[in-house]
Amino acid sequence: MKIGLEVHVALPTRSKLFCSCRTDAEEPNTAICPICTGMPGSKPVLNEGALTLAVSIANALKCKVPAATSFVRKVYFYPDLPKNFQITQKDDPVGIGGEISIEQGKKVGIRRVQLEEDPAKIIRQDDYTLIDFNRSGIPLVEIVTEPDISAEDELRSFMTELKSILYYIGIDIDKELKVDLNISVKDARVEVKNVTGMKNLLDAARYELQRQEKLVKAKQEIVQETRSYSEKDMHTVSSREKESDEEYGFIFEPDLTVYRTKGIKTAEPVYASRLAREYAKKYGVGESTIRELIMFNKESLEMIESYKGKHDMKPILNAISLLQRYATAKPTAATFEKTVGLLEKGFYPDKEAILGIESGKKVEAHAAAGTGEIDKEIKHLIKENSKLLKEYEKNPKVFNFIIGAVIKKYKSNPREVSERLERILEGFKR
Amino acid sequence: MDDREFSRLLKICRIQMGEAERAKVKGEVDEILEYFNSLGDVDTKGMEEAFHPITVPEKLRKDEASDFNDINMLLKNTKTYRFYVVGPNV
Amino acid sequence: MNSIREFLDAEKPEGYGKRVLEELSKLNEKLNAFNNITGRLGEGMPFSVKDNICVKGVETTASSRILKGYMPAFNATVVQRMLDNKFSFIGKTNMDEFGFGSFGLNSQKPARNPFDENYVAGGSSSGAAVATSVLKYHVAMAESTGGSISAPAAFCGVVGFTPTYGALSRHGLIDYANSLDKIGIMARHAADIRYVFEMIRGQDPNDTTSIEGKYASEDRKRIILVDQLVNGIDKEVESSFMGLVDKLEGMGYKIIRKSVPFIEKAIPAYYTIAMAEASTHPASYSGFKYGYKNEDFTQHYNQFFTSAREQFGEEAKRRIVLGTFVRSASVRDKYYSKALKVRSLLLHELEGVLNEGFILSPTMPIQVPRVDDAGSLTPLEVYKTDIMTIPPNLCGLPHVSFPYAYHKGMPLAAQLVTKQWNDEAMLGLVDGWEKGFKYRFKYNIGELR
Repeated sequence: MKIGLEVHVALPTRSKLFCSCRTDAEEPNTAICPICTGMPGSKPVLNEGALTLAVSIANALKCKVPAATSFVRKVYFYPDLPKNFQITQKDDPVGIGGEISIEQGKKVGIRRVQLEEDPAKIIRQDDYTLIDFNRSGIPLVEIVTEPDISAEDELRSFMTELKSILYYIGIDIDKELKVDLNISVKDARVEVKNVTGMKNLLDAARYELQRQEKLVKAKQEIVQETRSYSEKDMHTVSSREKESDEEYGFIFEPDLTVYRTKGIKTAEPVYASRLAREYAKKYGVGESTIRELIMFNKESLEMIESYKGKHDMKPILNAISLLQRYATAKPTAATFEKTVGLLEKGFYPDKEAILGIESGKKVEAHAAAGTGEIDKEIKHLIKENSKLLKEYEKNPKVFNFIIGAVIKKYKSNPREVSERLERILEGFKR
Repeated sequence: MDDREFSRLLKICRIQMGEAERAKVKGEVDEILEYFNSLGDVDTKGMEEAFHPITVPEKLRKDEASDFNDINMLLKNTKTYRFYVVGPNV
Repeated sequence: MNSIREFLDAEKPEGYGKRVLEELSKLNEKLNAFNNITGRLGEGMPFSVKDNICVKGVETTASSRILKGYMPAFNATVVQRMLDNKFSFIGKTNMDEFGFGSFGLNSQKPARNPFDENYVAGGSSSGAAVATSVLKYHVAMAESTGGSISAPAAFCGVVGFTPTYGALSRHGLIDYANSLDKIGIMARHAADIRYVFEMIRGQDPNDTTSIEGKYASEDRKRIILVDQLVNGIDKEVESSFMGLVDKLEGMGYKIIRKSVPFIEKAIPAYYTIAMAEASTHPASYSGFKYGYKNEDFTQHYNQFFTSAREQFGEEAKRRIVLGTFVRSASVRDKYYSKALKVRSLLLHELEGVLNEGFILSPTMPIQVPRVDDAGSLTPLEVYKTDIMTIPPNLCGLPHVSFPYAYHKGMPLAAQLVTKQWNDEAMLGLVDGWEKGFKYRFKYNIGELR
């Protein structure tokens, strides 16, 4: 069983791929011009920002970036395609032959990365269509993988890794990625077009695999075809005939030229999942804890990078997750230091405390409360309830109310308090 | 070019022809292709494909957005419904 | 001689502009030079625009039924630059549909030759040439892909200039074949052309392929006759042409004969590339966003597109089918890719020859044909008449056609070709020629006394 993907990513540029129209318009047909509506006489001019981002993606996916890249016309007829040809890439895309490492310890090959224009949005009515050209011409990067994915969990991991890499390049991953799935159980390759969202992707793959396996078992032929996924019915259906390469009749796009990739300044790629693995090993912390914090969070990664020499990793990670949960703004260095400081002293700040730290007030009381004071409080509470000491031999839980009381008073870390209580009680026993 | 190939081409081009027109055009197309075949006589070993007759230096546009001023005039060319362009059934 | 200066300096009688356009409209009923005369003739020098170049708010159809009603929402860069320089736009000129033709006959109302209406005007910029031939003060924005300026300029007895590819912005030009299309200029004098060319050329941020050329002005006083272009042509054309060669020799030009092997392969190479590129454009014309409207939206889109595309003329259909075929994946190397390599080879060959001097040939290998005779040629026979004009067009080389004699009342013209960006020296030679040879015209609408 083999799965290959074609993932379409919309690039977060201010203007479209070949014209200056905005990319953020909402009212239909308000960000359009002769170029993105395909009016006769208009000519495309390539967006520098889109080219840079596309090369950054190719680079991050470890592709070979050819010295020069160029565009072709792919001719097919559909009402959402203003010129009835799409400007895309074929022989000289921005990237070829890359890879992504996934959690299962394998690598999924990236066949090519190409830059192209998005068609318009089409809204189907009963017996006609309504077309909004705002989307027409928005830059897309298409990432084509090798058919290296062979299980559902690999598919999930691949998408997570890919999204994380894209996130660190600045792609808005909240926008659903559009994916075409190529699935083959035997020889015939079935393409499932236009699946959006992780859940749909997994459902579509699962359904299509089962469908094909069933056919194999029944010794029936699997037809090489294009299918589409229905979210409502959770199954795939055979869809319109698609043109083949023969019919697309690719030619060089003569309104554009050949673009050198050499001088393009790309962003340094970030592989969050590799960093998580490295830090987990180096600092003896849980890999999944770090992954959760940094896969899709630049600020967290920045905090780890800037504090990792100064503090232990464990309080750093705790501080990040607390600040992520409660802080109202991007934490300043002072806020972070104070939070880590409290954690190191055995306190476990709650929402109120974090807000206090942020505003520079109120926390002083808690911050002043060193471990000595906590011990004093615990001892005080034990003495007040000394009659329970006898029972403690049989039931170690009788003093657990102290943990709650201390946490309430000092916002301390529960595990920390229970460890201290246990140690102090040991002393009383002797 | 055989008949089936010619029919396939017409379909890809979304062009319809009546019997007489079809026969005439197909004959002409065959004659012209025969002539195009003579390109094979030229030795082009070592030649690159010349996509343009001149060297076209790269021209890039800065990623800055601006609005097209005459959207209304543009849309006057087409039938619209509530700002959407009306298109054929899919 | 610069008639632009002359026009601007002259005193115009009251109602001059209106009268000129009235006379022009009347003559247009006979000659079909214009698809529409919509402009107003103000103080500026009049200019016309071939109907495949966009003028904002003015119907622009490339003489195709499928674009009927298309109103561009923007001006082509060359049009904008003419307007910025106070020229007066007067109307859109007739042409072969999309530029597909050598005689001007692939139009619903073919333009007629102003010297005699029984003869063709030449194509595809037929109307631009006719307009130039009948208007005393006027320049035409025309366009050439494979000879669409030279051929009609020759048949209508005007000067037709096609610059180096990329010299004039194509922004606003309805494409025929993008890597071959060049906007150019027709006028009655080489000096007028040079004046306008210098005014509107230069790179344009709206057209990737428009560039700021490194212009030279090199005239080595040598004229090269290419054997393959001079031999085997119409006898009358050949002998008149040799008369021109003698006169140029008299003007101090050294005549050199050369052979350029494979130059005739420029024709199949050109038509292959042109059709491959051309077949992708009419793909856009599908009956709902602009131009011709197919009203029945309930049809399935394939049916909808197919029925809209019945509006294409015969030559357009032929080129779309052929072009679609030659770029099909399975034969791409044999045709499209091979043609691009032949272009490389010829570019290289011609560059070597043009480093030595100008190439001169008759513009057309035939005399001006009668409408009936031209109409009975097969498509391939028509393509082959482009032998002189195709090599410079395929290779983006500047060329100019100018009249040098009259035979039985019809003009005969020659074509000069030079190396890329040496446009001005070439126009200079024609300017020199005009000092000793007076062009003839049957009409002089707008003449000022």
